[in-house]
Amino acid sequence: MTLHQLVIEAAARRPDAQAVSGPSGSFTYAELDAAADAIAARLGRQGVRRGDRVVLWAGKSPATVAAMQAVLRLGAAYVPVDGSSPVARVAAIARDCAARVVVTNNARIPRISAELGEEAGYEGLDGPYDPAPPVDTATTDSDLAYILYTSGSTGTPKGVCLTHGNARAFVDWAHDVLAPGEDDRFANHAPFAFDLSVLDLYVAFRAGASVHLIPPELSFAPMQLVEFLHLRQISVWYSVPSALAVMMRHGGLLDRPAPESLHTVLFAGEPFPIAQLRDLAAWTGARMMNLYGPTETNVCTYHEVTKADLDRDRPVPIGVAAGGDRVWAVRGDGGVAAAGEEGELVADGPTVMAGYWGHPPQSGPYRTGDLVRVLPDGSFDYLGRRDQMVKIRGHRVELAEVESVLENHADVAEAAAVAVGEGVDTRLVAFVSPESGRDLGVLALRQYLTQRLPRYMVADEVRILSPLPRNGNGKIDRPVLEARAGGAGTSSS
Amino acid sequence: MTLDEVTPRIRTFIAESFLDGDPKGELTESTPLLEWEVLNSMNSALLLNFLREELRVEVPLASINAANFRDITSISKLVSGLTAVPAEGA
Repeated sequence: MTLHQLVIEAAARRPDAQAVSGPSGSFTYAELDAAADAIAARLGRQGVRRGDRVVLWAGKSPATVAAMQAVLRLGAAYVPVDGSSPVARVAAIARDCAARVVVTNNARIPRISAELGEEAGYEGLDGPYDPAPPVDTATTDSDLAYILYTSGSTGTPKGVCLTHGNARAFVDWAHDVLAPGEDDRFANHAPFAFDLSVLDLYVAFRAGASVHLIPPELSFAPMQLVEFLHLRQISVWYSVPSALAVMMRHGGLLDRPAPESLHTVLFAGEPFPIAQLRDLAAWTGARMMNLYGPTETNVCTYHEVTKADLDRDRPVPIGVAAGGDRVWAVRGDGGVAAAGEEGELVADGPTVMAGYWGHPPQSGPYRTGDLVRVLPDGSFDYLGRRDQMVKIRGHRVELAEVESVLENHADVAEAAAVAVGEGVDTRLVAFVSPESGRDLGVLALRQYLTQRLPRYMVADEVRILSPLPRNGNGKIDRPVLEARAGGAGTSSS
Repeated sequence: MTLDEVTPRIRTFIAESFLDGDPKGELTESTPLLEWEVLNSMNSALLLNFLREELRVEVPLASINAANFRDITSISKLVSGLTAVPAEGA
């Protein structure tokens, strides 16, 4: 069964129930269904057909969710790009995936069309939505459902291609494990371009429950997130641990009793510092789960937090295989790691991506690049990365991509980015050395970065440093930069 | 607190915390802080914390929006407005 059937079925079953609510309004299932058909009709007139790609460049709103459904109903794949992403990056992604149409708020069409020209069509997202006949193009498990662009180590983003089959394997598994009811109220914290949002949206839709969108400008505003949790009577919360950490530390989360509605707390994207998890567990009796998986695998392992876990001196395990996948660890010598041994985590199975856009299809197991230790019970502890990828508030960032963008600046001789701090306190700091005789400003460089990178990859701080420190081998001395940036380097995640 | 009191404190906090002290003096009251990601998710949380801890200002949910955090001028207006109501008995 395909991903978009979930809304079609929920709309038939519970048309008047709330489906999705955002800061600027909400849709019942009947309204979501009707808006999806209306947007599908518009896209159909633009020539969108089965197998096409449609870029969605929009903020979080019920209309954006309807547009996702519209694209799927036509048999096409949606490519969500944050509403805050710079227009140059939207255009680069649209070009890379050869998008048929870019859907965005009407007011933004002139900006993207000036950048991208006639390489794509443009469609407004805004209502009103004229009644349109139902659209449900025959689609199979192997059709692409969406492409999520992530940071690439070569300096350009990579499009991770997920099929209906990949997404449904994950959503159906999560639905079975969580067993949500029609009255559940899911929070959606992650941006739509981030794979955590797939659970919020589609597990809620499968249950006929409602999903409550947290606008990006509130996503790390501590008091406001706490207020949202209580006011919206959220029952299923899913976010990066960093969001929960800021709510605890700066939002007074633990000062009020946990809302009675809250029965499940899910987290993913980075290790949850154990002391903070202990505090959270003392506050709520909600079931808690650590979900793990790079975008390329959806979620491929999970671990339900037990009382005994809270006595650990390190984060809880990433657990055991999820979604019908097989996972194992490969040692440096190529053998399969046994209990007590370390290795790189490898995943194979129905949730693993079809491949990267524009590259040969993924065949066989996916190597995650994450180092793990095999525990006696066969589950896995996360240890760190094999490469320079770091996690900034759960988002993966290839330091090389940030550096390569900076080094493309005409006045920059060289650049080095480091991540310092742990968990919620991780900060991305970029050091830049100017070409001789050139005068660089930190604000001017920030402006330059924001025109080329998604928000989460723009360094928290840019510093001018000339020359960059070198070690005995003549390589840039990263530990020195990490110390200058204000702490030991992050062990990443 | 008046606008004249609030503005330099917010300016100093932003320059010191996010701009390496603003060595070239680029930061102005109309620098687009959101657009240039000076106030990204992390830094916005740190700023809200500064407003609460140092300036004793709680910014209500409804006031956290792009218009109020666009630049130093709008943040200062917001903060001085929130502190304009005299405390009880004052």
